[in-house]
Amino acid sequence: MADLRRLGKRGSYRLGRLGAQPAAPKAPSAPHYPSWAPHHRGPVLLWLLACLAGVVIIAAAAVLGWWFVPFLVGLAAGLAARYGRWRLRVTLPATVAMAAAGWGAALLWLVRGGLPEGTVAREIAALAGLPAHAAVAVAVTLLVAVIQAVVGLWLGRALAPSRSPG
Amino acid sequence: MSTVGRVINLLAALIVSAAVLALFAFGYGPVPALGRSLVPGHGAWASAAGGQPIHSQTLSLPGLAHPVSVAFTSHGVASIQAADSGDAFLALGYLHARFRLTEMDLQRRLGQGRIAQLAGPAGLSSDKFELRLGLLRTAQAEWAATGRTSPAGRALLAYSRGVNDYLAQARRKGDWPSIYALANVYPAPWTPVDSLVLQGVLTQQLDYTTTPLDYAILERTLGRAHTMAWFPILPPAPQHPYDPGPYKHRAIAPIAPQAGQGQAAAAAPQRAEVPGAGPGSSQVTAQAARAASAILAQANALPPGLIHQYPDSNAWAANGPAVAGARSMLAGDPHLPQTVPSIWYQVALSAPGLSVTGVSVPGLPGVLIGHNAHIAWSLTDTQNQATLFYTERTSKSRPGQYFWRGAWRHMRQVHYTIPVRGASPTHLTVDITVHGPVMTQAGQTTSVDWMGNIPSPDIAVILGVAQARDFAHFRAALARWRAPSQNFVYADDRGNIGAISAGYYPLVRHGDPWLPLPGTGAYDVGGVIPYASVPQVYNPPGHVVATANQRPVGPSYPYYIGTSANFFDPGYRAAEIYASLRGSHKMRPADFASIQLSLTDRLARRIVPRLLAALRRGHLTAQQREAAAVLHGWDGTMAQNSAAAALWWTFWGDYLDAVFQPWWRAARVPVHKDRPGLDVSPQQASLDQVLAAWTTGDPSNRAFSPPGGPHRTAPAVMRAAFATAVAHLAATLHGAPAGWAWGRLHSRQFPSVTQADALGYGPRASGADLWTVNAADGGLVSHQGPSWRMIVAWAGRGSATGRGVYPGGQSENPASPWYEDQMNDWWDGRYLPMPPAGGYAAGPVVWSLRP
Repeated sequence: MADLRRLGKRGSYRLGRLGAQPAAPKAPSAPHYPSWAPHHRGPVLLWLLACLAGVVIIAAAAVLGWWFVPFLVGLAAGLAARYGRWRLRVTLPATVAMAAAGWGAALLWLVRGGLPEGTVAREIAALAGLPAHAAVAVAVTLLVAVIQAVVGLWLGRALAPSRSPG
Repeated sequence: MSTVGRVINLLAALIVSAAVLALFAFGYGPVPALGRSLVPGHGAWASAAGGQPIHSQTLSLPGLAHPVSVAFTSHGVASIQAADSGDAFLALGYLHARFRLTEMDLQRRLGQGRIAQLAGPAGLSSDKFELRLGLLRTAQAEWAATGRTSPAGRALLAYSRGVNDYLAQARRKGDWPSIYALANVYPAPWTPVDSLVLQGVLTQQLDYTTTPLDYAILERTLGRAHTMAWFPILPPAPQHPYDPGPYKHRAIAPIAPQAGQGQAAAAAPQRAEVPGAGPGSSQVTAQAARAASAILAQANALPPGLIHQYPDSNAWAANGPAVAGARSMLAGDPHLPQTVPSIWYQVALSAPGLSVTGVSVPGLPGVLIGHNAHIAWSLTDTQNQATLFYTERTSKSRPGQYFWRGAWRHMRQVHYTIPVRGASPTHLTVDITVHGPVMTQAGQTTSVDWMGNIPSPDIAVILGVAQARDFAHFRAALARWRAPSQNFVYADDRGNIGAISAGYYPLVRHGDPWLPLPGTGAYDVGGVIPYASVPQVYNPPGHVVATANQRPVGPSYPYYIGTSANFFDPGYRAAEIYASLRGSHKMRPADFASIQLSLTDRLARRIVPRLLAALRRGHLTAQQREAAAVLHGWDGTMAQNSAAAALWWTFWGDYLDAVFQPWWRAARVPVHKDRPGLDVSPQQASLDQVLAAWTTGDPSNRAFSPPGGPHRTAPAVMRAAFATAVAHLAATLHGAPAGWAWGRLHSRQFPSVTQADALGYGPRASGADLWTVNAADGGLVSHQGPSWRMIVAWAGRGSATGRGVYPGGQSENPASPWYEDQMNDWWDGRYLPMPPAGGYAAGPVVWSLRP
């Protein structure tokens, strides 16, 4: 009963858990930024929106047959990374994600439109002499987009003068 | 990073970017343009659009004179209704291209020597072979001889226009079949010559053989006596000719003057002697045998099915008291390499003067097998010898020349450039003698005189057959048919039946045509059997006529038409069909269907009792006794679940081996040079027949005793072969003999025409073997069999009920619901109603085609 009376008071313990609660963590002394960003680069939301725009551009261009757009988006990302002083460990995964998501979204768009892309994917893999699984053709397709984007990113970074260690 | 480092980094990035973009844009070597090929929604992914179920719509087709209506059944079988035949063929061309573009284009490439352009260096050997053989040259000659305003000329032009309408549409939308986007090589516009090349490919599959080369090697190794005893001209067992005679010998007919790449055959006809009548004087030299090996090596590098090997088609008709509820009935099931998609595209064509339903070949205008308002017909391969090889006399001091009829002649030369994807083009020069193209100069310059190289107005004939109203018209239309020689079986709405083996049967002036012949002139083809004398029959007294690739005539037929090796089926299927037809009265379509689906192996029914008798006289192990018990009472049905069927098949192969392999080994027959033609196997029709004849009538034949070995008889060898078979099956299938089901050994497979394994069908466990009416040929994994089953019953004037089915579906697109949708119906022996000739298929989808 004594224990029950202590419930909710400082130093009490919760049901199912023995021992005292740990001390509350100290509040940070300064605003927290991700360790990979040396300086503040603007709201994270803006970055995400930019990435989303990249995905939409790549996807829309793919539907139009403009296969080279992942390269252009990668190039733009490379230039922006230099001018924005973003580190490679940020821009590289972001670029890869944009390219893969862009072409992946285009494929999904076709499937949503009722096209039997799964069977076609298997056919592509079989004709290419690869293991005849739809996932293989999809993976190779996304890889083509990713390779372009990564090469574009490299070129963009190489074209722009370096403003900070990156 | 230093300035130098940054410059190096920039240069490297620029170079890599340019390389990647160039690679993805244009490809390199065998690597396709991956960017263009794989961008979603385009390239290879765009083929998904072609796999969507079709819906009713209006399409604009340039070239049409009038609107055309196309109705589709739920299986995609199209009925075309047009205001004139040109529009009907234009619509057919459009449909073929819409649903079978890859198949058509691959066949065209095959015949024209353009496979390497799509497949890279791997296709070069096939391209060289076909360009040497000359399907393209023959097609060009055929088109040059075709009047542009003739029915065939107009049909070919209209058909090509329809194909090109679809190509233009595909080019505009970019929705090509995947294979083109992946290779970044697209189909060229279609021309009438392309259709005639496809006709040539089909002719090659049905008519071109290398058997004389095999004979040369066999004679060189086994010796002439053994070769002719074991691969005789006339088979030892009684056959079932559909034309039993009497026969009349007429003067031989000349080969059409415009025909042929060589001139020897077009010369004035002379007397042709019946070969094999005189003493055997032919000697196969070492050089000739070497040349034979070289040509066989070329042939073995071809895609499967291009050299005719398996004689497996059935067609029969019955009338009078043999049928009930009909005036006549016809059944046909041509056996061809089974692929996905099928070689056939089912269609009904209706236009003034043209009402026909049946199966067409994508790439060709017209219906090859089917019925019109009055007659029905089906085909089987005649199997006569249509390929002759000539060893040319040449001299090192006279390059490019050969000796013929007492003088040195210049070979004609044709030059080709073969484009190769991912490599430089290859140049090829083909030498042509009076006999035909030179196939090799290894060992001895050898040319081939093949009837398929003679332009044959097959399209005109097919159009004529489709418009025939009675047997006289039918027979008259077939008079112009040259190659591939075919048995056309006939039934009409007045209750008449018949058959004609139309085509060219070459006759040489001297020599043994089953061997390579000297090319100096004396042994040339002197002409062909006159049309009036080719095998044929009309309203036979027994009210049935059946062809199953057996020798169509009896032994007293006065002309040479081929030997028992390869050229004719052993006749077990014909025997089964005739036994079923003659033992029945008042047959209905269901009875015909049960014959088409028959799994009875007549050879097994003949041999197994002898085997069991032999086993009773020998000592058997417990397992062998158990296996023998499985065979007791077996009726010869090659059912999938039959252990007796597995035992029989394995035994027969081991029996053949036990008898002949010791001779083959002693003679060092180089079977690796052409396994289908040289190896000991059940596929060797001659060996099957002679062994069956010895087993039942000559059990002490000397061949049972191996060379230098102890004396043996048929029963002793049978017991040994049975022991081998039981041991083989025990090691392969394990367990008790009763569980050794045939389907555990045997399957059917339907490879994709693209040769991508995953796009084919099977292997799937199956019954049947190569001697059952429902045939399965090609060994334990069969890839040849009934490619179309059709039954037509004529109830009265203009009243036919047709049903048919083929393995596969109407569309070649794996994403289409019509890719394999008929496979299970075919597999389970079900038939689908054929659209009526001149009528309209009941279907949910209708296309309106507008000019």
